[in-house]
Amino acid sequence: MTRPIIEIKNLSKRFDDNDVLGGVDLTIEQGQVVGLLGTNGSGKTTLIKCLLGLLKPTVGSCSIFGEDVWNLSADAKARLGYVSQEFAVLPWLKVQSATEYIGAFYENWDGKLVRRLLDEWDLDTKQRVGVLSVGQRQKLAVILAMGHRPELLILDEPVASLDPLARRQFLQSLIEFTEDEKHTILFSTHITSDLERIASHVAMLRDGQVGYWGEMDSLKNQVKRLRIQAQNPLPADLEIPGTMRCQIDREHALVTVAEMNDDLVSTISTQFDATVSVEDLNLEEIFLELSGVSSEYDEAGASR
Amino acid sequence: MTITPRQFEVHPSSGVPIYLQIVEQVNALIVGGHLQSGEMLPSVRQMATELGVNHMTISKAYSRLEASGVVERIRGKGMMLKESHVTGTLRHRQSELQPLLEQAVIRARQLGLDDQQILSVLKTVLREIQQ
Repeated sequence: MTRPIIEIKNLSKRFDDNDVLGGVDLTIEQGQVVGLLGTNGSGKTTLIKCLLGLLKPTVGSCSIFGEDVWNLSADAKARLGYVSQEFAVLPWLKVQSATEYIGAFYENWDGKLVRRLLDEWDLDTKQRVGVLSVGQRQKLAVILAMGHRPELLILDEPVASLDPLARRQFLQSLIEFTEDEKHTILFSTHITSDLERIASHVAMLRDGQVGYWGEMDSLKNQVKRLRIQAQNPLPADLEIPGTMRCQIDREHALVTVAEMNDDLVSTISTQFDATVSVEDLNLEEIFLELSGVSSEYDEAGASR
Repeated sequence: MTITPRQFEVHPSSGVPIYLQIVEQVNALIVGGHLQSGEMLPSVRQMATELGVNHMTISKAYSRLEASGVVERIRGKGMMLKESHVTGTLRHRQSELQPLLEQAVIRARQLGLDDQQILSVLKTVLREIQQ
């Protein structure tokens, strides 16, 4: 049994009258690469900040490496890497000096890795940090967070400003980073195709809680869209177990189910004298369906 | 002939989990005669790096292939393709095939093909993929 790296218990956070998080429970084990998904304003950044002890929870607790984050020891901090959305490392420093400055805080700083990444990611070490583009600054922030080979890496939308090439390089370095299956990563993003490549698990925030938590593969295996074509008009209250979203148009229905199994198809086809086809959904579609929006585009190209 | 990760093609944004895509492609390569028993699959590390996916995904695909008897784990060397052998009764194996053919036939009917025309396509496919 591996011990959890991250434990979030009943976490709630209120800003004035606004409940951003309302009872989040999440346990992340060693070696998991967790993608945190959620619409804008769903509380991803708030969750990450509470998790790092940068914001005090209204209710609940968070721990990292078994330590309460509000009193995190220096040792635990040294095993942790974090990239925030708003990155501000001393703008007057040159890239080279910035890496040396940050590196000085860590005992096990891997200067060779940092130099290699700076080179691979095409960052000019003689540039001043202040004149770097947003994307370049983001790259630098990621490199600085990885320089001490932290056991846990937490990234808040690390790829939002990266071009496709840089994103691919970034993913490659994360793949390298997690190769020994001992390093743990939590990262929030909107780019579901990146998550599909590298995440082992997915956590989706919805209405201030974790609306889905589980393995990426099980999510794709279980969430399916059923296209039902019946002989006679279907009842308006089509009762199919595990329905996430349902759309009925006389003999025709589209039902997204959370837990697909073979029996389901045969039950529906006998019950309604219908042909049922099963459609796979990718992460983006599942995300939309979980958010209660149709992921299907109609002929006119507009989302229904 | 060595097998390289380039022979594989993963589509992360498909609804099919990546590990299943790899399992299916290994099976397809075997059926198509592109992979023979005794050959080694690329290492997990090679596959993960070149395909740009998580290591665990590749490990999972390989474990599935091992569990279904397609490959054998050779200590210190990796995954080796086993001699192919069919399992299950004839009826069972046929029933596995049926749903796949049903889908194809439904599509064929939608395309307005008659029995003879469908059979002719099937025969072509059978010729292309020899036993």
